[in-house]
Amino acid sequence: MKTTLRTTLAAALLAALAATPAAAATKYGKGVSEATPVRLSELMAKPDAYVGKVVKVEGLITEVCAKRGCWIDVAGDVEFQKIRIKVEDGVIVFPMTDKGKKVVAEGTFKKTELTKEQAIAKAKHECEEKGTKFDPASVTGPATVYQIQGTGAVVD
Amino acid sequence: MNWRKLNNVLHRDLGYLAAGLTLVYAISGVALNHRHQWNPSWKLVVEERTFAPVPVSDRETMAAALVERLGLPGPPKSSFRSAPHLVELFYEGWSVKADATAGTATIERPRGRFALREMNFLHLNEPKGLWTWAADAYAVVLGFLAVTGLFVLKGKNGLAGRGKWLAGLGVLLPILALFLLLWRPGDSGPRGEGEGNGGGRHRGDGRAEAGPER
Repeated sequence: MKTTLRTTLAAALLAALAATPAAAATKYGKGVSEATPVRLSELMAKPDAYVGKVVKVEGLITEVCAKRGCWIDVAGDVEFQKIRIKVEDGVIVFPMTDKGKKVVAEGTFKKTELTKEQAIAKAKHECEEKGTKFDPASVTGPATVYQIQGTGAVVD
Repeated sequence: MNWRKLNNVLHRDLGYLAAGLTLVYAISGVALNHRHQWNPSWKLVVEERTFAPVPVSDRETMAAALVERLGLPGPPKSSFRSAPHLVELFYEGWSVKADATAGTATIERPRGRFALREMNFLHLNEPKGLWTWAADAYAVVLGFLAVTGLFVLKGKNGLAGRGKWLAGLGVLLPILALFLLLWRPGDSGPRGEGEGNGGGRHRGDGRAEAGPER
């Protein structure tokens, strides 16, 4: 009886391990469509042309939300440029170890106009998430924020 | 075997079987409930370093200089600059943020929280595939345990006695909570995400979250 139980458990464990793909790309949420990616430089050069549209971007993950894994910053084809991909809390959770990996992500491009007070609140919140010190002087005025409301991503 | 004895045997044995996973889901559930206050799966181990400043040039040259001055284990897997003097180097599972002109660097190493990382991995069904079926089967067993639990005892401590009041209270509490959290005077229907709360995101406390999505 004991031998049968052990054999069954070992077989189940082996089957589970065999079903786990080794070092495959990780799909989050709905994944991505077959659409052609938009270059980040193109997106940021003419952002208003893309507002409200579904866009697919690819690049390098430079930051992951340290608290909830609910956003990633993605750098594209040009230096000093990156865009935030915000996902629904709990629906997609990016692990912190995804930082530095390549990603293809898709979602709706959004524009948000912030008053100075809102920009301060946003910067303060981001510092709290990272556990860094917030300097109110770092926010000098109202800001326009572009980000992608992500529905899916594939991380290499 | 009469039906109550069969009920109790099944309740007992499935209860033993489900105990481990129930603890996993319970502990992970508490941790995940508070994810607005902390990251329940990961913590960031941060190390501050200083080095002799590196002049601003192209990214590769600056990255190579930083690797040397910080004594890092070889070239990074990838790198990025958010500004000409701010360089980020990415290694497998950890990264370095450096201000080349100020000569300061932060090394960040995410570490999974002991046991919680694994429990949350299962609770959030991150493995998907076979685990989806295992978790579904566990949910069915849990439902079965809830129903069989109602009929374990008979008499004054059974469902016909005090059990009906306690079981009724258990049903009433979530209904009362939903009523208090989702309904407001003058509402024509229950509040859902993005409706009836000013168009903002649902925070779970009946108030709209102001400001941009972050």
